[in-house]
Amino acid sequence: MSLTRRIMLRAAGAAFGGALALSAFGAKAAEDTIKVGILHSLSGTMAISETTLKDAMLMLIDEQNKKGGLLGKKLEAVVVDPASNWPLFAEKARELIAKDKVAAVFGCWTSVSRKSVLPVFKELNNILFYPVQYEGEESERNVFYTGAAPNQQAIPAVDYLMKEEKVQRWVLAGTDYVYPRTTNKILEAYLKSKGVKSEDIMINYTPFGHSDWQTIVADIKKFGSAGKKTAVVSTINGDANVPFYKELGNQGVKATDIPVVAFSVGEEELAGIDTKPLVGHLAAWNYFMSIDTPANKDFIAKWQAFTKNPKRVTNDPMEAHYIGFNMWVQAVQKAGTTDPDKVIDALVGVKAPNLTGGVSEMLPNHHITKPVFIGEIKDNGQFDVVWKTDGLVPGDAWSKYLDGSKDLIGDWKDKKCGAFNVKTGKCGGA
Amino acid sequence: MILLQRFLLVCALLFSIGSLARADDFADAVSGFSADSFSATEKALDGVVQSNNARAAAIVEALQKERLFYAPATKQVVVKDASGAVLDAATGAKLAEAPTELKSVRLNNRLRRAVEAASGQMTLLSADTQKRIAAAQAVYKARDVAALANVETALNKETDPVAKSALSDARAAILLAKPGVSEADQLSAVTQLRARGDQEARAILSSLPDATPPAVKASAQSAVAAIDSRLAFWSNLQNVWYGLSLGSVLLLAAIGLAITFGVMGVINMAHGEMVMLGAYTTFVVQEYARAKAPALLDYSLLIAVPLAFLVAGAVGVLIERTIIRFLYGRPLETLLATFGVSLILQQAVRTIFGANNREVSAPPFMSGSFHLGGLEITYGRMWIVLFALAVFVGLQILLRFTPFGLRMRAVTQNRRMASSMGVDTNRIDALAFGLGSGIAGMAGVALSQIDNVSPNLGQSYIIDSFMVVVFGGVGNLWGTLLGAMTLGVANKFLEPFIGAVLGKIALLVFIILFIQKRPRGLFALKGRAVEA
Amino acid sequence: MLQTLLDKRTLIAVLLCAVAAVAVPILSLVVPPSSPLHMPPYVVALIGKYLCYAILAVALDLVWGYCGILSLGHGAFFALGGYAMGMYLMRQIGARGVYGNPLLPDFMVFLNWKALPVAWWGFQSFPYAALMAMLAPGALAFAFGWLAFRSRVTGVYLSIITQAMTYALMLAFFRNDMGFGGNNGLTDFKDILGFNIQSDATRAALFSASAIVLILALLVGRFLVTSKFGKVLIAIRDAESRARFLGYRVEYYKLAVFTVSAMLAGVAGALYVPQVGIINPGEFAPANSIEAVIWVAVGGRGTLVGAALGAVLVNFGKTVFTGALPEYWLFALGLLFVLVTLFLPKGILGALDSLKRKPAPPIEPADADVAPKIAG
Repeated sequence: MSLTRRIMLRAAGAAFGGALALSAFGAKAAEDTIKVGILHSLSGTMAISETTLKDAMLMLIDEQNKKGGLLGKKLEAVVVDPASNWPLFAEKARELIAKDKVAAVFGCWTSVSRKSVLPVFKELNNILFYPVQYEGEESERNVFYTGAAPNQQAIPAVDYLMKEEKVQRWVLAGTDYVYPRTTNKILEAYLKSKGVKSEDIMINYTPFGHSDWQTIVADIKKFGSAGKKTAVVSTINGDANVPFYKELGNQGVKATDIPVVAFSVGEEELAGIDTKPLVGHLAAWNYFMSIDTPANKDFIAKWQAFTKNPKRVTNDPMEAHYIGFNMWVQAVQKAGTTDPDKVIDALVGVKAPNLTGGVSEMLPNHHITKPVFIGEIKDNGQFDVVWKTDGLVPGDAWSKYLDGSKDLIGDWKDKKCGAFNVKTGKCGGA
Repeated sequence: MILLQRFLLVCALLFSIGSLARADDFADAVSGFSADSFSATEKALDGVVQSNNARAAAIVEALQKERLFYAPATKQVVVKDASGAVLDAATGAKLAEAPTELKSVRLNNRLRRAVEAASGQMTLLSADTQKRIAAAQAVYKARDVAALANVETALNKETDPVAKSALSDARAAILLAKPGVSEADQLSAVTQLRARGDQEARAILSSLPDATPPAVKASAQSAVAAIDSRLAFWSNLQNVWYGLSLGSVLLLAAIGLAITFGVMGVINMAHGEMVMLGAYTTFVVQEYARAKAPALLDYSLLIAVPLAFLVAGAVGVLIERTIIRFLYGRPLETLLATFGVSLILQQAVRTIFGANNREVSAPPFMSGSFHLGGLEITYGRMWIVLFALAVFVGLQILLRFTPFGLRMRAVTQNRRMASSMGVDTNRIDALAFGLGSGIAGMAGVALSQIDNVSPNLGQSYIIDSFMVVVFGGVGNLWGTLLGAMTLGVANKFLEPFIGAVLGKIALLVFIILFIQKRPRGLFALKGRAVEA
Repeated sequence: MLQTLLDKRTLIAVLLCAVAAVAVPILSLVVPPSSPLHMPPYVVALIGKYLCYAILAVALDLVWGYCGILSLGHGAFFALGGYAMGMYLMRQIGARGVYGNPLLPDFMVFLNWKALPVAWWGFQSFPYAALMAMLAPGALAFAFGWLAFRSRVTGVYLSIITQAMTYALMLAFFRNDMGFGGNNGLTDFKDILGFNIQSDATRAALFSASAIVLILALLVGRFLVTSKFGKVLIAIRDAESRARFLGYRVEYYKLAVFTVSAMLAGVAGALYVPQVGIINPGEFAPANSIEAVIWVAVGGRGTLVGAALGAVLVNFGKTVFTGALPEYWLFALGLLFVLVTLFLPKGILGALDSLKRKPAPPIEPADADVAPKIAG
């Protein structure tokens, strides 16, 4: 009995001690810096893309501090590693907001990571800047989408191919997840609205990291031999691209025969491929490193100096962070505080110059206006811009081409609603 | 070329009066290249090609090789030749002083096609047979009606059989596109393309202009049907080839694992990382070659193969000596320890080389493809298949005909007995582990040609390798060979029907079920030792 | 009887969990946030997650530590349980989704699905979902074990095919056509049993539930391994052929413990999902299952309590490392794998034992010390 009691006491002590230790682990004294959270995977499969964005954010924060910080305080970056693990994204987001008390978070790459942290940002009322092109169909009060919505990337690219290349037959090839599925759905509806027949559209999905493309490339060639000009619209994700392009090159699919336009292949991805066989294949982005503007030159010079690597490339999501960060800085200055509620309100309507010579604006649906560029791959791993939109394209949160969402708009300014149905006048969602 | 020049000379004599105006047109056309707009460039190209000027071929070639520039300030259009000298594009005169700022005349896909077609027309009479063939193929693809006369001239002169058939294909393609050609000519053109029987011929036959006579259309339709059934036959063979090539990749990745598993009964979870190390060795060799000895770049893969074997093999021996030998007799725990090693190796490579993919270029002998009947075989895959078979044969020889192989087989079959017969099992373990890892390293060299060179490379192959080994059975490399090829071919035959993902799932389920029937795989070692 | 069931360590662990189940809600809800004793809600969620992992580790220890079945696919059972709970939570959202469809979850509307797939029927009811969280993994384990154990697939082969199983499931769940949300999985939950899932009180309640389930898991586990059934399991682990020759139907014992363990893993997954707020196919990744094995190895296999301890410790380390030294945590984790297998073959608890009993028996099989204790 005495043994039991002793054990019981010991156990109770240990439990309290452990709880105390954990509580203490959570509490840190407040200091006079403004903290900015950086939530990008530094290990695991997504490290390939996301590490660069972490460095870009560190550079931007560094630059801002050189200019004297914000509201008279220095900015302090808080970097965590969600390790390409989606639940860990939520956990780390919580840690950043609750423990480190960051004023805003810049982060996430994949849609699923954004979906995973979303409830956390809503619950703890903080701000997330999401820098990557995505499938749309979302407009949340706490999230600002600085990457492209489908209408800022996919649809202009298809227009270009139809107009310039007279493409009549389409292969929509993608990795099997939500972004390609939605983009392809939108594109299919769009193409059909332009009179393309179903038999002239081939849709193909492959798993993540697919590496054996022999069959699919052969299928594409076969599909392209029907006597009509054929193009491939690729939403193939990250790692699977290198083997895909290698197989295209080896099987002799040249851009002059069957051009491939990609939405997920940028300078960073091309750095891992020998681009000589790929010259002429296309990509659609809102930014290319090769665009010749003073702002871009300056940014590239700073980036290469910051990373101490004169060959480092820049890419579209980096520019998105650049725009997003500057918008946030302006909004904080406008609001005079980092209080999320005030900053969220101040952000809508903020204008910040982008790196391609325009001025992007934060719209009421929390997406931004962006120019769209179509670039052809050159043999030095860069893109040559062959087409661009006349002005800036406003990002649509909800696609006009999908049944479920054609009546929805996001408006956080007047309607205070992310999914407002203009027909019924009701606000969907919570 | 000479002919063309002579022809131009005659033209110049005949139209000497108009020639001044002609030259002006040509200069105007050339100056169009400086406008920096794709449509202006297209117009300029058209003008240059139509001008029949002697400089036209040189300008088109420069455009094709991206050696045509313009000075934004003076709008002067210049050509840089191979030696770097700057020539005026229109006159061909060497410039004493090159303009300070030069911008290249940009091309997009549409222009690139136009340039290819133009260059095809202009090199139809080239002295180089290969160039003539390429030119004929370019004309065949472009189907430019205006090129018909040139093609026919060239066809009459042609002696080389390959070039001749390429030219007649081109002629047939043009005849079908050109309005007002006699029905008989078009019918014979259809026959010509039907005999060619590939996808491009099918493309041409299935997209005849609307004005084509019905008889020709009907004949083309039956030709398309004939080509289709021919292609369907070949596509089955093609699938077999794809399967074999996938199987070879699996074989390369798995065969090293089969050795370590067979000899020591341990599953090496870090095996994939050995493959990755091999791929990174290739990258380092190429970087070194690029920086120090560009002449060796084309042979970098050949140098990388033994190096990758040594690097991965050395790491393997190191792992065996420092970790695995202490876990002897605890195979499951070896599995965990090597999983830890794999995490460390991945992160180490990530720290050293960065998380990004690294570029490993393909040497010329591994680029492109060739046709074998209706099969299209890419050189890269072909070499990988041959390489995998060479590794397999080499290993068999090593195991059968060397004392080391004999000892290794002895340990595989009955460790205790071998030990009591005086085989130093410790040493055999270390060497076998090194050998297995080294082969994984060599597999990495091959995989660097078809996959990402990234820290995650090994992860994508490890489970597939396990499946091959478990399916094929332990202790017999023939099982691994047969297992890899079966899985490869099955995968490729399932893929067109149920897609890549479901195909893979189906195979995994099949293997799980198969193991229930034959718990020791296809080729099980018989004997009491393995049962224990 | 009680003495055997509750040996000293189990008693400590059970009491610790019981105290935590009561204290954590108090510290988090009653103690004011200004007090240094206050426990922020995110810490509650964090420890709650550790406890779910601990339950998974206990489940794994039952099959590996006591029956010698090294399953590299327990993550699959965990994830299936999680999906069952996730489906319930998705159905609870109802018309509050962005598209306002009362029946279909958002992602189905998004992909133009017209009707609810059969697999989703019934998940609006919590008891059904809770039942499925156990039955689905249990059924899978039963079918898998039925095939594998009867044909005497053992050792490394079994480990590899369990890995193939979870890998195949991962690929399958990644497919959007499966109807489980594809890569994005299930997320953005609103409430559970009518309570807001994000409120601090719900979190505290979920935490307490996890702690109580962990207690139950430990007790059920102890009950199983100290019973006659458990002795047969240990006999199978140490000498399978001998047990068979003695007349035991080895495959049925294995099948039983494998199924029970899978159901327990499913419960762990079901508790895990509402606390982390997302379930996606990544949970099926083979690496996750291997990591779970390491928790057991670190704590000490064949001890149940050790497995739970290992899960909590390793995950706590992971939390600290991914925050403090993000670039190096994989090195740390990898090194842990290697060092534990090399130097702590019996895990932390095993090492403590050998410290107490000075001349450690060197050649004994890994868990020989468990048997005499049970006998006594």
